[in-house]
Amino acid sequence: MKRTLIILAVLIALFGAGAFTLAWSGIYNVAASTGHLAVTRWFLEFGMRNSVETHALGIEVPPLDDPSLFYRGLGHYQGGCAPCHGAPGEGRNPITRQMLPPPPYLANTIEHWSAAELFWIVKHGIKYAGMPAWVAQQRDDEVWAVVAFLQRLPEMEPEEYRRVSESQATSQIEGTPEERARLLAVAGSAGESLVACARCHGLRGAGGGEGGFPRLAGQSFEYLQHALESYAVGSRPSGIMQPVAAELSEAERRNIAEYYAGIEDAPYPPKPQVADRETLQQGAALVANGAPEQGVPACVTCHGPSAAVAPDPVYPSLVGQYAEYIALQLELWRSGKRGGGSYSEIMATIAEQLTDEQIRAVSLYYASLRPGEAPQAAAESLGERLDAPSVVPDDRN
Amino acid sequence: MKADKRHPITKAECPFGFRWPVAASLVTAFLLLTGCDGIQAALTPNSPGAERIAEIAWILFIGAAVIFIAVMALTLYAMIARPGRGGWIGSGALIIGGGLIFPVVTLSALLIYTLDAAGVMTAPAEGNPLRIEVIGHMWWWEVRYLDEDGNVAFVSANEVRVPVGRPVTAAVSTADVIHSFWVPNLAGKIDMIPGRVNDVTFQAEEPGTFRGQCAEYCGAQHAKMAFFVVAEEPERFARWFEHQSGPAREPQTPFITRGRDLFLSSGCGACHTVRGTPAAGRIGPDLTHVGSRVSIAAGILDNHIGTLEAWIANSQRIKPENRMPSFDVFEGEDLRAIAAYLESLK
Ligand code: HEC
Ligand code: HEC
Ligand code: HEC
Ligand code: HEC
Ligand SMILES: [Cu+2]
Repeated sequence: MKRTLIILAVLIALFGAGAFTLAWSGIYNVAASTGHLAVTRWFLEFGMRNSVETHALGIEVPPLDDPSLFYRGLGHYQGGCAPCHGAPGEGRNPITRQMLPPPPYLANTIEHWSAAELFWIVKHGIKYAGMPAWVAQQRDDEVWAVVAFLQRLPEMEPEEYRRVSESQATSQIEGTPEERARLLAVAGSAGESLVACARCHGLRGAGGGEGGFPRLAGQSFEYLQHALESYAVGSRPSGIMQPVAAELSEAERRNIAEYYAGIEDAPYPPKPQVADRETLQQGAALVANGAPEQGVPACVTCHGPSAAVAPDPVYPSLVGQYAEYIALQLELWRSGKRGGGSYSEIMATIAEQLTDEQIRAVSLYYASLRPGEAPQAAAESLGERLDAPSVVPDDRN
Repeated sequence: MKADKRHPITKAECPFGFRWPVAASLVTAFLLLTGCDGIQAALTPNSPGAERIAEIAWILFIGAAVIFIAVMALTLYAMIARPGRGGWIGSGALIIGGGLIFPVVTLSALLIYTLDAAGVMTAPAEGNPLRIEVIGHMWWWEVRYLDEDGNVAFVSANEVRVPVGRPVTAAVSTADVIHSFWVPNLAGKIDMIPGRVNDVTFQAEEPGTFRGQCAEYCGAQHAKMAFFVVAEEPERFARWFEHQSGPAREPQTPFITRGRDLFLSSGCGACHTVRGTPAAGRIGPDLTHVGSRVSIAAGILDNHIGTLEAWIANSQRIKPENRMPSFDVFEGEDLRAIAAYLESLK
């Protein structure tokens, strides 16, 4: 018994020394060009597949049918995934194809994975393979958006892929190539970097993707610059916007902010259809009066429309913003994930008090507003807060 | 254990000795009593109601002390009496008299006496009382002053000002959870209960500043929910009342004007009212005359430009989870300008 143990120990030590000598001598070839042995490839694949399956156990899949999720996923896929994984109808990048293992063409492999497994892969990446983890680990909502898109990828013909990726923001706004050229010329020094933004936010900053991409037109220079700064330094986590903003120099961020802040004629999408009268009234009341019994202040003071005193320009406008985007941001604050520095702290304290129902109402209400179109409902309920009624019932006074 | 007949309990068997417990309790009682002297103390009453409460406290304390000493004396006697001597302690007469009749009579008398005192405090005030409404919020106090016709003359916060020698009726209620309004020097506790309005009446006898405290746990910052009561001579009070009914002071210098503009553009008006400006929010304290108050943030900070700055930039650190966001967004000069503006609102 004792002998066996000793022999075993010696064998292990020899093996370790051998492995070390192999690595030290430099005989082992780390070249990606030579590929793996078939057995190594099988083993790595086997290990990866099982690891993903095990780690994805217990992940709950939220509803993924909201079109804004699909578009947000698509938008990010084009910039963040397609360079490695390719896309329908687009030639694949010859450089990334020489990685080892090579990034697979996803349209062919997606069906092997469940939504939870895709989520896990996209969020955490894959070790020793060059598959990167998600930039903003707290933004599960963004990862799910990518999953929502991936699940539709296999059935997508090149024709359809081109159509949806173009229609998400650009086509509804830019119109003819001449007009695009004119807008880019107006953008001046921002023009070059603007092309990247326009893919999601449009050349006129009208946003799009059914609410997947926020509207930028109508925001002040101060707010846009502040938002881009926050993304770039990572204080406002977003796996989609952080990489884009971090690539710009400070001067580029300023130029683009100036360009978008100067746009006055950006078109609006149709008003949300799902909003019934009652919801809009509830939203209007909240915007005009807040909900004092809950500690929620009137949004109008800081976000308009037509506040009595012009708010600090660093405070964003919400008029005509997409409902999906407003609701998403409020939910991020409620779950402590919005980030954005000191200004964001102001909004965090307020957003914490809101209920689901109030978030829906206020989002739909703002999304239905258009500048200059003073909403009746808001004006009607404004009178209420001006007189503070005595708490003691009349008969006791 | 076999006790010595002449020394039934020896020193060694009673580890603390005889004298220490007595001395220790006297010292403790003394220390506790000295703590009861001051601006938040039931034992230095400054209103008829609080005097009754203090009187009850003393009667109960002295009465209980006398009874306690008597019982202890009997117990001790029972332990050290020679065998056959202390039999009378177990007699039926003493048990029925001391154990039944005495408590029934004493407790009934006390009950009648205290109910009578409580009645005095909640009875509608005689004469022409000053009427106020105090509304508890998490975690501050809204104070409304009513005019002769019972309409709200003006709204203030975290401070109750009263004239001496005139009864004050406070109708207390709450905007959220249960709080309890308690100014020990002036009145007993009165709960602020959702859906109810309770009345409490008091009358300050001497000018002075007293501290009140929420006396019903109401969440994270319950301990930091205090306020001050300032009692002053009727003429001074009348002048104050008149001034408070008016709008906020207009800024007198460019710096203060800048402070006001920042106050308005930063959205403070979404939660605060400053009469005479567009700020008409009702989530937080009325700030129309905030500069004239003794304290800010519900009795927890002195009121001057430094504490105002600290509060604006750090409210969530000073009082975590309160409903005012920290505005840690101003440059030093701007912050000072806003604080200076608030300070100028005398
Ligand atoms: C730098 C190149 C690179 C980028 C960028 C990249 N991936 Fe990958 N990805 C890889 C590589 C390499 C693998 C192969 C890993 C393996 O086979 O072990 C992979 C594997 C995957 C897989 C598993 C596929 C399978 O069937 O094995 C999925 C799903 C995936 N990536 C999704 C994405 C998504 C979504 C994005 C964009 C958010 C993305 N990847 C960005 C390199 C990349
Ligand atoms: C892949 C799509 C995509 C691209 C490309 C993109 N964005 Fe965004 N952008 C988004 C999404 C999604 C959000 C919302 C992110 C969040 O949840 O915080 C956003 C948010 C923003 C915001 C914050 C809006 C607000 O109201 O707070 C600004 C500003 C912005 N983007 C500017 C830009 C600029 C400038 C560029 C080009 C340099 C750009 N974006 C490129 C998708 C994109
Ligand atoms: C005291 C001022 C104030 C009030 C009142 C206020 N907000 Fe805000 N809000 C802000 C500030 C400041 C920001 C910017 C945060 C940042 O820069 O990250 C903001 C940001 C937002 C955003 C994100 C906008 C974007 O483009 O990303 C939404 C949505 C929002 N607020 C909704 C509301 C709603 C709904 C209400 C009313 C219930 C409200 N706010 C009341 C100060 C306020
Ligand atoms: C979202 C609502 C909200 C906003 C916005 C807000 N406050 Fe407040 N404020 C409160 C509440 C609630 C309190 C009471 C906090 C407590 O003591 O629990 C308060 C307390 C104060 C106090 C102390 C008042 C007193 O008498 O004790 C001052 C001073 C103050 N706020 C100044 C400001 C300034 C200046 C701004 C703008 C920069 C501002 N507040 C914005 C809600 C708000
Ligand atoms: Cu309390």
